Amino acid sequence: MTQDKLKVAIIGSGNIGTDLLIKVLRSPHLECGAFIGRNLSSSGMLKALSLGVPVSAEGINYIIDNPDCCDIVFDATSAKSHFEHAPILRKLNKRVIDMTPAKIGLMSVPSVNLTDCLNEFNVNMVTCGGQASIPVAYAIGQTQQDVDYIEVVSSIASRSAGPATRQNLDEYIKTTEDGLKEFSGARRTKAILNLNPAEPCVDMQTTIFAKVGTPDIPKLIERLSQLVESVQKYVPGYQVILGPIFDNGRIVVMVRVRGLGDYLPAYAGNLDIINCAAIAMAEEYARVTFSTEAKGL
Amino acid sequence: MKIECQERTRHDCLRVLDGRDNALDALQKSELVVIGGTGFVGTWIAEMVAALNDAYQFEIKLSLISRSTDQFVTRLPHLANRADISLIKSDVRQMGQFPSNADWVIHAAANPDVRTHASNPLDTASVIVDGTMSVMRTAERLSRLQKLLYLSSGLVSGAQPETANGIAENTQGAPTPDASFMYPNAKRFAETICSAARVQSRIPVLVARPFSFMGPYQSLDTPWAQTTFLSDALRGHQIRVKGDGQVVRSYLYGSDAAYWFLRILTAGQSGDVVNVGSPIGISLQDLAKEIAKNFEPSPDIMFNTAPRSVGRSAKLLPDTSHAMNEYGLSVFTPLEEAIKLTAQWHRLQAS
Amino acid sequence: MEQNQKIRISDPTLRDGNHAVAHQLSAENIAAYCKAADAAGVAIVEVGHGNGLGASSLQLGEAKTPDHIALAIARKNLTQSKLGIHVIPGFATIERDLKPALALGVDVVRVASHCSEADICERHIGFSRSEGVEVWGCLMMSHMISPPMLLEQARKMESYGAEGVVFMDSSGHFIPEDVRIRVETLVNGLGIAVGFHGHNNLGLAIANSVAAADAGATLIDGCARGFGAGAGNAQLEVLVAVLDRLKYSTGIDLYKMLDASDLAEQTLMKEIPTIKSVSVVSGMAGVFSGFMKPVSRIAKEFNVDPRDIFFELGRRKIVAGQEDIILEVAKELAQRAQKGNS
Repeated sequence: MTQDKLKVAIIGSGNIGTDLLIKVLRSPHLECGAFIGRNLSSSGMLKALSLGVPVSAEGINYIIDNPDCCDIVFDATSAKSHFEHAPILRKLNKRVIDMTPAKIGLMSVPSVNLTDCLNEFNVNMVTCGGQASIPVAYAIGQTQQDVDYIEVVSSIASRSAGPATRQNLDEYIKTTEDGLKEFSGARRTKAILNLNPAEPCVDMQTTIFAKVGTPDIPKLIERLSQLVESVQKYVPGYQVILGPIFDNGRIVVMVRVRGLGDYLPAYAGNLDIINCAAIAMAEEYARVTFSTEAKGL
Repeated sequence: MKIECQERTRHDCLRVLDGRDNALDALQKSELVVIGGTGFVGTWIAEMVAALNDAYQFEIKLSLISRSTDQFVTRLPHLANRADISLIKSDVRQMGQFPSNADWVIHAAANPDVRTHASNPLDTASVIVDGTMSVMRTAERLSRLQKLLYLSSGLVSGAQPETANGIAENTQGAPTPDASFMYPNAKRFAETICSAARVQSRIPVLVARPFSFMGPYQSLDTPWAQTTFLSDALRGHQIRVKGDGQVVRSYLYGSDAAYWFLRILTAGQSGDVVNVGSPIGISLQDLAKEIAKNFEPSPDIMFNTAPRSVGRSAKLLPDTSHAMNEYGLSVFTPLEEAIKLTAQWHRLQAS
Repeated sequence: MEQNQKIRISDPTLRDGNHAVAHQLSAENIAAYCKAADAAGVAIVEVGHGNGLGASSLQLGEAKTPDHIALAIARKNLTQSKLGIHVIPGFATIERDLKPALALGVDVVRVASHCSEADICERHIGFSRSEGVEVWGCLMMSHMISPPMLLEQARKMESYGAEGVVFMDSSGHFIPEDVRIRVETLVNGLGIAVGFHGHNNLGLAIANSVAAADAGATLIDGCARGFGAGAGNAQLEVLVAVLDRLKYSTGIDLYKMLDASDLAEQTLMKEIPTIKSVSVVSGMAGVFSGFMKPVSRIAKEFNVDPRDIFFELGRRKIVAGQEDIILEVAKELAQRAQKGNS
């Protein structure tokens, strides 16, 4: 094991898992100890093989049998599978980043609560709409008095929404609403998701509305620009395209996310932002691990 | 799984086996593998094997291969925990572990849920086509293999011709090559793969074409007529029938189906194609009425009628003369009885 | 055509009409119209925010009457007629919105998506079906895909358990032949009922509805006085009269339907729907009528003709949510005009 890279395993060799793999390989702080799926002939597996990454079709058993292969596990399988994996990985003392809708652990939004997550053994990346809007909602919560209501409307390219997304819209809405409440302190929250079938495919676009007691836009602009800078460190394609403005009795901010196009197409900014956030989380674990070790603690 | 429910399904198998067990003698002291073994068909075959072993001392060793073995263990411990039944967790497309001493193999792996076929036709295709390729490659390495039975579908010849009383195995016709018909198209292609495996690799494979089944172990969550009617009745709702209820289907009971498959597997010739199903049709209106009879108070039946004639597949019935003539197979559990047993079993389970 | 063939009427006056009054229909409005429609024998009365259950929001407009109040009061005032709702997954969730609605006594659930996205409806259709209510699938902006593709999407809904599929001409773009082909395709390809929802941008809502019935549709939507989004819907009392002339039976009492429409005119709407110039253009272009305001505003900013913008948006097949493209298009048109002048 190289001194300055943390070993990760990725369970789930679909598009999300494979995109994560490419980001891991590019990271100076992470290396991939295992790429795990169910089907060795899937395109993700073949990609991993071509990149010289150790692969396995044995599922979680591979990690049980080879515990040294990783310190951190990205679980990009399904909620059902994650419920099975979580206790096993906890016993093995692995830190888990949950990419599924299971949401057992703490919600992680790197620009907002990175440090809180460091002590956790299971974190989840909320939702794509959550990653895009929570930094804004957080800024609103921090700078505005009496945050009554926050509403987030996300629009993603129809082609970026596979069967898993389509069958879990309700979970998406609930999780995003919970995340918004948690990080902004708003009394009520609402999340809406639109699938846009236009061709060429549109980038992910998210509008955040807020109803607050007495709006302070200048304060919000300042705080938000700090947070946006922080987000852009791990999601370079994240951009505020409108606001913050106060219009018609509500605060309005619009953000757009264009993906990196590592494995997923660039318009799938919704999938990319979650993956980038997950990598940022893992790199933070790495940074802390090695600085602690370096200090001989 | 309630004891009374287990006893009922055991009884169902024993009734079918009574006087007919020797037709399955080739299974004695052999190894049987069912791929996709935790679905409706696999579960009934497991029940039938358990009955053959317990009541007739057949000493069959059964292996069930499936992605969902964990759920099987939780739901059906009375089968999963048997010494003569092993579970292997695996995707059909990538079977690492396969019992190398298998004498008989039944390939029943496919997702019959029409919702998945509609929402995810590509995955549907992959499981059926890649899965069958993978099974044939695995079969090449089985030194003791006597026969491999592939479960195709009664839909591979397309819609039933107006004039026919039932779809015969040699019916000319095919489903439309359209994503809406991915399931029957993929099954049709998989049958072709079986034929190729026989020609190229000498795999002794034959094909069964299942039509509709009914019985315990069929999830009431599925959107088929018999399951939605039962589900409506069990919940105390009125039974909702799409259309005018004149569509005709047939239903073979689970224990009958299991027997039919085992008989065809052991007695059949490589290359044969056999319809598996009941030739006796029933309109959905009558099906709803029969199911309603089993509930007190009897639920109302609602028809959401489009006052127009139904375009396609008004009838979907198998012609089972081949199964009868070649294998001596017929409907053992009459339909009225099958409906009664199914309704009662689900009522018991739910209570 | 059979004598006295049955056509079921589904009346979204209190849902689509809400679009015309920025979703401000009151509980009293709902109670009064429900009573009148019920008395007239309308088969299904649909109630709610213009974008359906759970859609009250800053993005789409906040409803004056929350869903639970609207449905409760409607339920009280409908004895013969069935109470229907329009449900768009992504706005409405099963736990938060659909379950409570069913508990209030909704009879008919229409789960709707953009015409090419039927698979987002699987869960909501399945849930409604398992609760024993009548459930339809609904395909919006259906002019944007071809008839065979419309059938593919409708088939998905059928597989999820829908008992019928309604396709909507949300931008009022169709001519009768367009409707006939689609109904025929759906009727031949599905084993479930087919319905049609027309809009009147080109003055063809009634003719289109008739074409639908003639081709085998058995459920038709219509609103009192045409009260609905944009140029309005098929005018229900007219539709009832026309269908009667054509020997269809809707089960609706004409006089009482006229009374209900008079009531709607007097109490629900600020103005009777007419076809304004911009509606003609958005209908021709097949563009979502909700673009009207941003197009007018941006057209002024860039000094271009808003009607030119609409046609260009239609050419590019722009859907709701792509308001930013309006800006792009306006810029382009302005540049083109400049080049032309120099």
